[in-house]
Amino acid sequence: MVGKNCFAIASDRRLGVQLQTIATDFQRVFKIHDKLYIGLSGLATDAQTLYQRLVFRHKLYQLREERDMKPETFASLVSAMLYERRFGPYFCQPVIAGLGENDEPFICTMDCIGAKELAKDFVVSGTSSESLYGACESMYKPNMEPEELFETVSQALMASVDRDCLAGWGGHVFIVTPTEVQERVVKGRMD
Amino acid sequence: MSRRGDWVYENNGGTCVAIAGADYCVVAADTRLSVGYSILTRDHSKICDLADKCVLASSGFQGDIKALHKNLAARELLYQHQHNKRMSCPAMAQLLSNTLYYKRFFPYYAFNVLGGLDSEGKGCVFTYDAVGSYERTGYSAQGTGSTLIMPVLDNQLKSPSPLLLPARDAVTPLSESEAVDLVKDVFASATERDIYTGDKLEIVVINKAGTTREYIELRKD
Repeated sequence: MVGKNCFAIASDRRLGVQLQTIATDFQRVFKIHDKLYIGLSGLATDAQTLYQRLVFRHKLYQLREERDMKPETFASLVSAMLYERRFGPYFCQPVIAGLGENDEPFICTMDCIGAKELAKDFVVSGTSSESLYGACESMYKPNMEPEELFETVSQALMASVDRDCLAGWGGHVFIVTPTEVQERVVKGRMD
Repeated sequence: MSRRGDWVYENNGGTCVAIAGADYCVVAADTRLSVGYSILTRDHSKICDLADKCVLASSGFQGDIKALHKNLAARELLYQHQHNKRMSCPAMAQLLSNTLYYKRFFPYYAFNVLGGLDSEGKGCVFTYDAVGSYERTGYSAQGTGSTLIMPVLDNQLKSPSPLLLPARDAVTPLSESEAVDLVKDVFASATERDIYTGDKLEIVVINKAGTTREYIELRKD
């Protein structure tokens, strides 16, 4: 979700196989560099592999270009990597958030074969995506400060995952501003 | 849109919401009727006044819904003639459940929310699945936009847990106008993201004084 010169990216913490919960502290939001984060929902093994491949490509980019990748460029990279596997896809829906030129927030989401969808307000993915659309649409306001953005994102996330049996066990929220990153674990219904 | 020759249902879309208050009940539904990706009409009411303190909103297959409403209205009239009074909301709730389960093996494709005042004058909302399983709650949403709306209602109208003792009321402490504003907000959000919800919103408020109706414009795309 986009705020005033900042963004928030959040995920739940459950890892499960249908009805069985395997882990309650699973990390789904990964850092690419200080101002670029990617969240990957869907198949956990594909999320981890994709993250490792993206970090590899970004490190090469850093060596060649001697700078960090811009979020728009990174989004195109992710889209291309997913489409390479058009007929045997990674079963992941990424959510990308970063601060671009002049610390302008950038967010986008993709389907599992790389169809990019830019948004100005918020993007969602995962099993609770419909609930998240409803909650975010109701709670979002433009130009929220980091503190208010944290509240909004946490409330929307918790309300939505509480209606989904496959998501929950708390939330992991990152608030990224040009100067700092705040990472917080939100306590929610543990079921 | 099914290619099988024997698929007899279709989903006409739409969303219904009800919220119970201390001495009122708000029942709302959009007025769009769709089939597939087309709109059949922007002006179709999903709400049926069954008794003076009891209102039913249903989304799903409108053919089955029309039949269901007709069935219930007829049964209510019979009750009036036999008992010389109108059916109370909890009584209608049980009747609806039984009517739906009667067709357990060829169900009414209807997702219902019944709202009204109980015999003490407190707001009550009953929520159903397609075959009659029901529960009295403080608020509910059914239909294509229900997954978008329920989390927001949970957040704003959080019910106390049913495991608490002594048992607490599920009805919201909000005032009537605040509840109506909340309904307008959630429908505005659902209209943005659900293609089957939109056009107009019909809001029915039931309280001691009677029943009032209000129509609000929603996005038409």
